[in-house]
Amino acid sequence: MMKNKYSFIALIIFLFVGPFLFPNATIAEMLIFGIVAISTNIMLGYTGMLSFGQALFFGTSAYISGLMLLGGFPLFLAIPVATLGSFIISLFIGYFCVKREGLYFICLTFAFNQMFYFIAYVWHDVTGGEDGLVGVERPAYIDSQLTFYIFTSMMFLFAVIALYKIVTSPLGLIFKLIRENANRAEAIGYNVRFYKLISFSIASTFTGLAGSLYVLIHSMVPIDQIHWLKSGDIIFMTLFGGVGSFLGPLIGVVGYIWLSDTFSIIWARWPLIMGVIFAIVVLYFRGGVSELLENLFKKYKSISKKTEHEQNIKNTKLN
Amino acid sequence: MNKILKIQNLTKNFGSISAVSNVNLEVEEGTIHSVIGPNGAGKSTFFNMISGVIPPSNGSVYYKDKDITGFESFKLPHMGIAKCFQITNVFPKLTVRENVWASIFSCSHKSKVDLFKSMNDFETIDKDTENIISDVGLSHKIDDKAEELSHGQQRMLEMAITLGAKPDLLLLDEPTQGLAPEATVEMTELIRKLSKNYTILLIEHKMHIVMEISKIITVLNFGEKIEEGTPNQIKNSKKVQDAYLGRK
Ligand SMILES: Nc1ncnc2c1ncn2[C@@H]1O[C@H](COP(=O)(O)OP(=O)(O)OP(=O)(O)O)[C@@H](O)[C@H]1O
Ligand SMILES: [Mg+2]
Repeated sequence: MMKNKYSFIALIIFLFVGPFLFPNATIAEMLIFGIVAISTNIMLGYTGMLSFGQALFFGTSAYISGLMLLGGFPLFLAIPVATLGSFIISLFIGYFCVKREGLYFICLTFAFNQMFYFIAYVWHDVTGGEDGLVGVERPAYIDSQLTFYIFTSMMFLFAVIALYKIVTSPLGLIFKLIRENANRAEAIGYNVRFYKLISFSIASTFTGLAGSLYVLIHSMVPIDQIHWLKSGDIIFMTLFGGVGSFLGPLIGVVGYIWLSDTFSIIWARWPLIMGVIFAIVVLYFRGGVSELLENLFKKYKSISKKTEHEQNIKNTKLN
Repeated sequence: MNKILKIQNLTKNFGSISAVSNVNLEVEEGTIHSVIGPNGAGKSTFFNMISGVIPPSNGSVYYKDKDITGFESFKLPHMGIAKCFQITNVFPKLTVRENVWASIFSCSHKSKVDLFKSMNDFETIDKDTENIISDVGLSHKIDDKAEELSHGQQRMLEMAITLGAKPDLLLLDEPTQGLAPEATVEMTELIRKLSKNYTILLIEHKMHIVMEISKIITVLNFGEKIEEGTPNQIKNSKKVQDAYLGRK
């Protein structure tokens, strides 16, 4: 509980300081992929399911919201419709995927991702194909830097609070049961397949919500947003931040976007460096950056406690 | 007398091996009914068919006169049947409290809305959790992770999780396996205490325990039922002696 309190304070500070540290589009991207990674972690870290198809939901929702805005619909209709769309697609796709486990589950999610990518690629008239969906305009009321930031951070906070409610509810506990021991969860009366589908849907729906916002950053949807490489990025960011805590994945997102922004200017082959960093994290820091920070914090605390203790001993001696 | 569980011609073939063949059995409500037999006799397979873990090749299972043959295992706790596993089967990274709480919640929540409430909204479940944990003697470990418990304590936790379903019928698969002598006595006492409130179908290797606490004993050998009766009848059965001696 204490741990969560500190993380939430840090989060609020980040929301205030972030816009001064990063360019406008970068911080917006961090918050939007923050929603993606934190929700993906519900499935990955809490339930123990690795999906290689999350870009499917991100991209599809971005297209739906972009097309609606192009069609003259208001943003406050486009976002819920795109999110609802992701929810419905996730139920349909999830229904088939959760029938399988482990490697087969991963392959199925990957296959669906490829399928949707292919549709987006060939359906040029609607999605713009390789050129991307362009010309989407931001509504006037969020056109300034300040209002857009307030808008994205509000949406981000809404998503984080909703997801936090889920992980601290009985449903969150059921997800952990499945990760820990699916057979036993079944034996005490939980329909594991049903709850896996719920977990998959929650992650995908929030990823869809994020996708529907993404279109506003650059006023377009590039086709890479639905490519399986994006699904890989999503997993990478989540693992990099750490699946062991609720907000851990956000650290991964901030780190990943910051590092890739920095390196991509210096060196065109920057993914190589990201690959090395990823390998190091997976090999030596299984809990990701968040666990690393937490351990450092614990160490610091125990040292300061020790010195306090020594101080007390000294004081008693003096008395 | 009321038969809570009726099993007819239950059979399981694994390829050409017949792990259980044509077993008939009736469990009387409010008693301890034991199933014994040498290693590999088919006891666990028999249990797994009742609890829906593996589908039977043939035969049927009736619980309270309802045909539950081949029901998926997650449905059984909701009907009042709970199973304790032979190999300890808990949620290692979760606390003792969470392990038991989750089991109680599974069978006591009424609507899907409860899934989204706060964990703090379930006072009755919190109380029941503490009571069950205290019944199995783990109160001092309530906030420890399951993986930090000793083997004996994990067996007790396994039992607590099973009791969380508030079942009418308990299926216990060798609850004393791998326990030290003192812990075995403790577990036997617990089973005896539980028999006041539950009907128990028990698999057990340790003869003295079975003889001491069962009302009826069924003996399996090579997947077949070879004898059934009171402890005294079983003790004096020539067939049973042969089966056990023949294997040794
Ligand atoms: N999944 C399976 N596939 C093939 N054979 C199996 C399978 N499960 C069990 N068997 C075989 O069925 C027979 C009965 O096994 P079972 O585990 O039911 O015995 P048991 O009476 O519980 O033994 P123990 O006292 O050692 O627990 C054994 O010969 C076993 O090898
Ligand atoms: Mg067995």
